[in-house]
Amino acid sequence: MNSPFDPDAPEPIVRRDFLKKLSAAGTAAWMSGEPQIVRGSEIRHPEAKADSCILLWLAGGMAAPETFDPKRYAPFEKGMAVDSVLSTFDSINTSVDGLKICEGMENIAQIMDRGTLIRSAVQPDLGSILHSRHQYHWHTGYVPPQTVAAPHLGSWMARVLGPKNPVIPAFINIGQRLEGVGEKEELKAFTTAGFFGSEYGPMNLPFPEEAAKSVRPPGSMTSERFTNRDKLYRKLVDQSPHRDYASDHQQESLLRSMDNAYRLLNSDERKAFDITEEPKEVQEKYDTSRFGRGCLLARRLVENGARFVEVTTEYVPFLHWDTHAEGHSTVARMHSEIDRPISQLILDLEERGLLDRTLVIVASEFSRDAIMEGKPGSEANDQATHKVDTITEAKHYGLHRHFTGGTSVAMFGGGVKKGNIYGKTADERPLVAVENPVTVTDLHATIMTAMGVSPKTEFVVEGRPFYVTEDGKGKPVMDIFA
Amino acid sequence: MAPLSNPDTLEDMKHFLPTAFLAAQALLCFDAQGEIDFVHEVVPILKQHCTECHGGEEAEGGFSVNTRELFLDDDSAEPGNAEKSYFIELILDKDPDYQMPPIKKKRMPKEQVETLKQWVNEGMNWEPGFTFGKPTYEPPLKPRMPEIPEITEGRSNPVDRFIDHYLRSNKLARPGPIDDLTFLRRAHLDLIGLLPTAKEAEAFANNKSPQKRTEKIDELLSREISYADHWLTFWNDLLRNDYAGTGFITKGRTQISGWLYDSLKTNQRFDTMVRELISPPTDESAGFINGIKWRGTVSVSQTLPVQFSQSISQSFLGINMKCASCHDSFIDRWKLTDAYGLAAIYAEEPLEIHRCDKPLGETAKAAWVFPEIGEIDPEAPKEVRLTQLADLMTHPENGRVARTIVNRLWAQLMGRGLVHPLDAMQTEPWHEDLLDFLGAAFQERGYDLKDTIRLITTSEAYQSRAEPQTSEASDKYTYRGPLAKRLTSEQFVDAIWQLNDAAPTSFDAPVIRGIADKNDVKKLQIPSRWIWKASSATPPAAGDEALLRKDFTINKRVIGAGLVASADNSFTLQVNRKVALSGSQWTELESASVMNLLRPGVNRILFLAKNGGDKPNAAGAFAMLRLVYDDGSDEIITTDETWQAATTIPKNFASPKWDFSALKWAGVTEMKVEVWPAAIDPLIGEALAIKSSAADLMVRASLLKSDFLMRSLGRPNRDQIVTSRPHEITTLEAIDLSNSETLAGYLDRGAKHFLKTASAPDFIDQLYLAALTRKPGDGERALLAEILTDTPDHETISDVLWAITMTPEFMLIR
Repeated sequence: MNSPFDPDAPEPIVRRDFLKKLSAAGTAAWMSGEPQIVRGSEIRHPEAKADSCILLWLAGGMAAPETFDPKRYAPFEKGMAVDSVLSTFDSINTSVDGLKICEGMENIAQIMDRGTLIRSAVQPDLGSILHSRHQYHWHTGYVPPQTVAAPHLGSWMARVLGPKNPVIPAFINIGQRLEGVGEKEELKAFTTAGFFGSEYGPMNLPFPEEAAKSVRPPGSMTSERFTNRDKLYRKLVDQSPHRDYASDHQQESLLRSMDNAYRLLNSDERKAFDITEEPKEVQEKYDTSRFGRGCLLARRLVENGARFVEVTTEYVPFLHWDTHAEGHSTVARMHSEIDRPISQLILDLEERGLLDRTLVIVASEFSRDAIMEGKPGSEANDQATHKVDTITEAKHYGLHRHFTGGTSVAMFGGGVKKGNIYGKTADERPLVAVENPVTVTDLHATIMTAMGVSPKTEFVVEGRPFYVTEDGKGKPVMDIFA
Repeated sequence: MAPLSNPDTLEDMKHFLPTAFLAAQALLCFDAQGEIDFVHEVVPILKQHCTECHGGEEAEGGFSVNTRELFLDDDSAEPGNAEKSYFIELILDKDPDYQMPPIKKKRMPKEQVETLKQWVNEGMNWEPGFTFGKPTYEPPLKPRMPEIPEITEGRSNPVDRFIDHYLRSNKLARPGPIDDLTFLRRAHLDLIGLLPTAKEAEAFANNKSPQKRTEKIDELLSREISYADHWLTFWNDLLRNDYAGTGFITKGRTQISGWLYDSLKTNQRFDTMVRELISPPTDESAGFINGIKWRGTVSVSQTLPVQFSQSISQSFLGINMKCASCHDSFIDRWKLTDAYGLAAIYAEEPLEIHRCDKPLGETAKAAWVFPEIGEIDPEAPKEVRLTQLADLMTHPENGRVARTIVNRLWAQLMGRGLVHPLDAMQTEPWHEDLLDFLGAAFQERGYDLKDTIRLITTSEAYQSRAEPQTSEASDKYTYRGPLAKRLTSEQFVDAIWQLNDAAPTSFDAPVIRGIADKNDVKKLQIPSRWIWKASSATPPAAGDEALLRKDFTINKRVIGAGLVASADNSFTLQVNRKVALSGSQWTELESASVMNLLRPGVNRILFLAKNGGDKPNAAGAFAMLRLVYDDGSDEIITTDETWQAATTIPKNFASPKWDFSALKWAGVTEMKVEVWPAAIDPLIGEALAIKSSAADLMVRASLLKSDFLMRSLGRPNRDQIVTSRPHEITTLEAIDLSNSETLAGYLDRGAKHFLKTASAPDFIDQLYLAALTRKPGDGERALLAEILTDTPDHETISDVLWAITMTPEFMLIR
């Protein structure tokens, strides 16, 4: 062995030259603007339990006591005290012994034996409850604002894992409009690949029934015309006097991207985007709402090799799960929007043998409570629109405060235990997580671990490392895996 | 090259090993569970026992631990296998002749050896870029005017003298020159962000002046509005200014758009801009330092004072203070106290220093990062501190601010900075003399941005062939010529609008796009005349409404059309059934350019005014339209006795549906109330001059809120400062370009527009000139002639337009 301390080793001067070159090269590489993966070859990624991930996002703050974590039921009575209300729904049995969820979710009740229910997810106290800030945190793992644009969970998967099928974009975002809705700028701030650049950004499909259009030639263009247009484009590129720039990296990448786009828009897989290809009776099973149709679209996309798909009930301030008044009747409607599609999605994936390798997550940015804003000790402003001590009208009946002390996340497939409950919340107010609290950071670590990505995966941007879970600290909840 | 870290900084680092932290920039504050943490556990051991002889400049026995690569050289360690790692063997060796550290030094404690072994077994993770080596480059602060190398071959522009010298000394070939039309396209897009029109291209090609390129550069730079429209994108990115975005919803953020646009329009001195941004004389320029205030609790590193520290450092000094705002930086020499020193200049209240979101019990003292040219008085009030900082930033001995901005301009024009990356000005430039020259010249010549742009673009170096890039990011950069630039999303959208005559008619940016001609302002100080419907009582009842009408005919080409109006108490004014103006204060004069609402032939103004109050009171309405024609003449149309008043008011005036012919018309009365002209007349001249001067300038993408297409093509959310745009087109963008309905709509308009001329024999030539600023080659002409036939349909033209605009030649500025 050639000892490094051997006096006959090469001249130190040579070494120093080498060192200079090396540090110069290293510096230039990591100082350049492009984020670069580091420790890529050395990091130990866990073995993947799932190849695809579907996030079913119940945007606006799904009240756990009205859905997956029923508490003492207080039926509506004129003159009832607000603080007597924990749940406005009765509970029902599920396919798991001893596990109850809320009335109105009868179909979901039947699939609870396919997954794990985490009842102890917690959120940080951000002072003032803003849905978009908590959603930013949930989707990126970082509390906004950040000095660099943080990538969405889907972008992390797109960047680290890449597309599963090269023709299907790796990150598909279904159901959220980013124009014409309140807080749209805040939504855009996390619906992005951030510093990874737009290659890893979402393909946004706000209307599932129109998704097919996104992968179709524009407007009424026939496929023949589309093909001819592409041919013309290629011929023009060939004829261009600039073709002698063929070796140029920018030109090459442009041509390659155009080529990829043409392939997708002309591929068989694009049918995956068309839910009308499904038999009528299948469409009907999902057809409760845009969310329901989004679930069907997600299933078709995963069948065809999508990596990460998010389907949302859509965040629109004061609508859907964001109940500031009329909570009970609104949630009853939301139950009927999600109940059949979610259960059908799980059953369909199972029937196709895909559930084992697909992680399905049902989550929301936080829970709700009838009287408590934030969590115990929080100084968050109460934003309820109707502040009453006694309930006299239906509009007062519901959980109208934002609660961050404990909420539920359901996970199916993707190697998670079946019929399993993890963590619990208190039976009396405050309904905080009292067992095995799971932070957003650890939840991310769990999701990424299931997908075969180490929670410590890091990229360097602007000379600083940036981790897939906040500062690489996320610890997966291994107890939920089979 | 930049220092990655120096050992002294590291010494400090290990003290905060166990801290937990919150923010992303707290990246080095690991918790120590699980894997060995190189920075906090391994570095201190190596420093204590090894680097004295095997680090920095020392490499005894030819062994250096400066970098991981050097460490592994000659098999002195085997990642993943401590047992087989020679340096561990030596540490454990009992033989005094072999053991390390050498016999005279202290032995390494057992737990430290265990840490090193575990570290090796885990693969010897190394902080990327970290070295024990000393910094090899520290940028100068003061300006320096280097000697300009001799002129070769008559290439006398100082930029060429430096570049020629550089190429010669590096034995590199000089890149070939570009032809006139390539130059024209490049200069147009770089200076005003627009394609040259086919006419402009032909005129330039036929221009025989030997100075025509320099003349063209001067002409483009003198187009104040187009220049401002284009450079607005660069400055909005740099100063994170936008018309919509995170923070506006909670009023936690204000725009600087109006101030910025005026500064660009008038080519404001850059030192004045910096001064007005840092120490804002009015609220107009205050948005930059005031940052984005988020509701609720935020990480300490995102509080307003710390944002201030980060923003001024990045934008003006090319310093990344984001690391140092959480802990002493690893990537440059800045420390936590530096970041907080700057933050404290802005802070209203005593600012406690936090390391990784943990308070240290120390109060930050306002201070500036380059004390060699002056200090901030920490005891002075905030306004004074900001003024002092503005003084230091624009101090004649401060060359850093000048170097930072000229480097950004160089990168905009030449495709890559003299220093790269642009926000890491501590990096060694590839041509220090040229950077120093540009910076010093910039300061000497009055911080004149256009002057620097002119200096660069009039060089042969700028006017030479773009070099192909062989890979995405090569580690070592050698200048061989300018690099191609991708059209920014704004440039692309503008070009598409230009080509297809598809620009929108209004924009979002709150800026005044015209330039008031002083003579015009004087000439247009015309007294206002106020009218009301004759049938109203005197005085008119509260809530009384008057619908006033004027028809006029346009027979000549209009190049400017400005409209001003006011009413006691409120009004909506339509031109050709489209809303042109509205207002609700009789003391205020509303104004707009109405170019886009006019048409040849008969035009109609409908002016609906409403009286206020709760009892009968004076009511009046005033409007004045100035039309400027292409023959230099102009025409004024103002409210007077020739107007008519409707006898009834349509219920749904705002809707385009009601039936105009159902209205009956009667006379108007002139109303004389002294306070109206007293308030309004002094405002008329300037407003009318500005609004009618905007000529027929196309609305530009930079003036609009970002939309789906622009976002897709890389326009950033301006929540963070973004100083460079993506260079490549991604697959998702390509999908959008292939099937975007928006783009298809633009091309459709273009196709309709071209349908009239498409059968002309020189159509293909004209199309190529307009889109690519060159005539087609024979092959291209033949190909398109075959497709377009004699009577092409509108779909075919649309597809031809798409195919041309998707070519790399269109998308890139070469």
